[in-house]
Amino acid sequence: MIRYLASRLAGMVIVMLIVATLVFIITRLAPGDPAAVMLGEQATAGDVAKLRGTYGLDRPLPVQFAYWLSELAHGNLGQSIFLQRPVTQALAERAEPTFFLTVFALGIAMLIGIPCGIVAAVWRGKAVDQVFSAFAMLGASIPSFWFGLVLMEIFAVGLGWFPVAGYGDPGVPLSDRLYHLILPAIVLGVVNSALILRFTRASMLDVLGEDHIRTARAKGMSEARVVLHHALRNALIPVITVIGLTFALLIGGAIVTETVFGLPGVGNLVVSAVLRRDYPVIQGALLVIAGLYVLINLAIDLLYLVIDPRVKY
Amino acid sequence: MLRLVANTRTKIVFRVRLAVVTAAAVAITLVAAPLVQAAPQKGGVANIAMIGEPQTLDPMSSTADLVGTIMQHVYELLYTYDANSNVVPMLAEALPTVSKDGLVYTIPLRQGVKFHNGKEMTSADVVASLERWMQMAPRGKAVAKEVKSVEVKGPYTVVITLNRPYAPLVAHLALSNGFAAIMAKDSIANPLTQFIGTGPYMFKERKPDQYVQLVRFDGYSARKEPASGYGGKREALLDELRFIPVPNANTRVEGMLAGQYQFADVLPVEAYSRLENAPNVKPVLTSPFGFPYMVLNTKQGPLSNVTLRQSVEAALNNADMMAAAFGDKKFYDTDPNHYARNTPFYSTAGTENYGKGDAKKAAALAGTAKYDGTPIRILTSQQYDFHYRIALVMSENLKAAGYKVDMQVVDWSTLIQRRNDPALWDIYITHSAVLPEPTLTPPQLGDGAPGWWSTPAKEATLAAFNAEADPKKRAALWGDVQRVVFTEVPYIRIGDFNNLTARSAKLDGYVAMPWPFFWNTGLSK
Repeated sequence: MIRYLASRLAGMVIVMLIVATLVFIITRLAPGDPAAVMLGEQATAGDVAKLRGTYGLDRPLPVQFAYWLSELAHGNLGQSIFLQRPVTQALAERAEPTFFLTVFALGIAMLIGIPCGIVAAVWRGKAVDQVFSAFAMLGASIPSFWFGLVLMEIFAVGLGWFPVAGYGDPGVPLSDRLYHLILPAIVLGVVNSALILRFTRASMLDVLGEDHIRTARAKGMSEARVVLHHALRNALIPVITVIGLTFALLIGGAIVTETVFGLPGVGNLVVSAVLRRDYPVIQGALLVIAGLYVLINLAIDLLYLVIDPRVKY
Repeated sequence: MLRLVANTRTKIVFRVRLAVVTAAAVAITLVAAPLVQAAPQKGGVANIAMIGEPQTLDPMSSTADLVGTIMQHVYELLYTYDANSNVVPMLAEALPTVSKDGLVYTIPLRQGVKFHNGKEMTSADVVASLERWMQMAPRGKAVAKEVKSVEVKGPYTVVITLNRPYAPLVAHLALSNGFAAIMAKDSIANPLTQFIGTGPYMFKERKPDQYVQLVRFDGYSARKEPASGYGGKREALLDELRFIPVPNANTRVEGMLAGQYQFADVLPVEAYSRLENAPNVKPVLTSPFGFPYMVLNTKQGPLSNVTLRQSVEAALNNADMMAAAFGDKKFYDTDPNHYARNTPFYSTAGTENYGKGDAKKAAALAGTAKYDGTPIRILTSQQYDFHYRIALVMSENLKAAGYKVDMQVVDWSTLIQRRNDPALWDIYITHSAVLPEPTLTPPQLGDGAPGWWSTPAKEATLAAFNAEADPKKRAALWGDVQRVVFTEVPYIRIGDFNNLTARSAKLDGYVAMPWPFFWNTGLSK
């Protein structure tokens, strides 16, 4: 187990180095100039060149890369060109809305996806299975942009139950800020429940066809106990995998939903940084997201040990 | 009996008079009530939905509309523009006294004007601010080439000495975009960490991607003249202004309809009827707001040939481009003259060349110029949807005239990088606000801007225009510049467009100006 953990962590370092290199190369090779964006239409080429010098953007790329790596080694993700603050601070400021949005959305996705997947599997081929399968297909197909605007129109503008956008007024308590996340969480939750539903259904169907389930039924066990106690637990591993991946995707930024609802989350930060060519933020944010992805994958693999005693590393 | 009749008659007369007075009072109240209800009240918070997060809060370092719109509440200028586009004093006591040779501008300052830190504004603050502006701001740098010195002359007088007569000087000092903001000398730094101005609102807090929060400055020193445009008396009726970045245009519309925002800027024209029909919202059209224009590469590529540029000008159907970009005629205009009839710089000089889509004439000119079939590279972006629609129509117009077209659609950051390289494009599309002084925009009227227009005719007409101090003579000289623009075609001004914004029905006193401001506005109960 210790050896397994050590090898995974060592692999993580290699993955992060590869990500850092790719992120740096791709952002620097893309056309566009943060200095020109910052100075605006009226700036001359001389103004732009001067500002590039201020931020070290006129140095050769290998020099910039080496400098960035050395800063990374000291835990410094750099300074945002536009926000004039450390990248770590910019990310920390956006962690709260992204984290809570992810948790709420994932909760909704699981509350819809797992029970519906179980029901669809148990009543396979029946009307309820077809309804839930259609729902899954719809959920996977609906653009979150459109869905978000529809819910906004109905529940925020029409009924006035929720705010349209934003993350609360200055100085409001956490509860008020979290209230702003409900509608976007429903959008993300419904859209992401589709995949969880399909995986749960497929995994349950596999398990429900196995011998030990037939034996449990033959022993006179109630159907509810057969499904929930024996079948579900054995079907959980692929479901947990997809839940973990969904969590990682959401943490990385529900970009479209954050833009529609004006949420100051990580996704919004990354999109703004890309449009402005704020290189330190793009590089730092993507590196952190990649790191979280790797850690979540490790956590899922360790969770298998808890769920399935047969799994050993 | 007589006394009884007299008493009765008196009562009747009294009652009739009372009825008349009462009726009159009711009538006056009914007429006056809307006026009374419309008078802005003090108090409240305005949530103002803007198109995005400002790149900076330093009003000198960026010409982005967003930055100027927000920070014009915190900082003021020496001069500003009234509702008729006249320059009027703001922090200056009066318009400058100009020496006979046009080289020395003596600017008297108002006394007793307080900064947000409680200190009085003096000439030392003004000189320090103007020096910073001339070092940092793009327009400031252009002005700096004309300026010999900026000096203190006593605590309330500033003297600007020029190298040569330069009539647009005061116009530059009045423009609230990339502006010559007057800052407390102690607060001046690079970058700015404090935002200490004299405006009716003070900076309180900025949370990127959430809000910029301004609060009323109780020590504000207002002018006494009635408000007119950006000029005159300013009063901070609202307790607080919150500028909220809402990049998605549909979200800004929905937020207005739901009552979450009291004002929303730059709304899609398609939302006009929804806003008009909503009882709690008033759509506002700022007219004219801006003009889309295309810049032609005079330095390199096929369009370095002036005859080919004239051919392109003839090929384009400006009315079609504006219709494609903005749809309904209430949102745009296609007057060929660069300035409207009611402005000092109105002229029809050169307007016979305004593009009407004459493919035959364009083809003939292309033949004269021996066009060799090199594709014309059009650089555009979908970040501004109307740029892209203009580019689509332009492409077809050019093809109809026999041109090959290579349309390159990129994001805005890429476009503003590529346009600095003359090897990469032939035409790019952009837009500008309509500004009251011609030399303020577009930048191609200055030196070094992409397009690299530099000819003897340009230099001669602009030199005469900028040297003339008499406003009436100067206005007439603009026609010469306009004619050169139409004949040498360094850029093509396509038309004028209006900006659709919306305000809450409860937001009283709002006056529509290109850069929205919220002094003199309040929320009715």
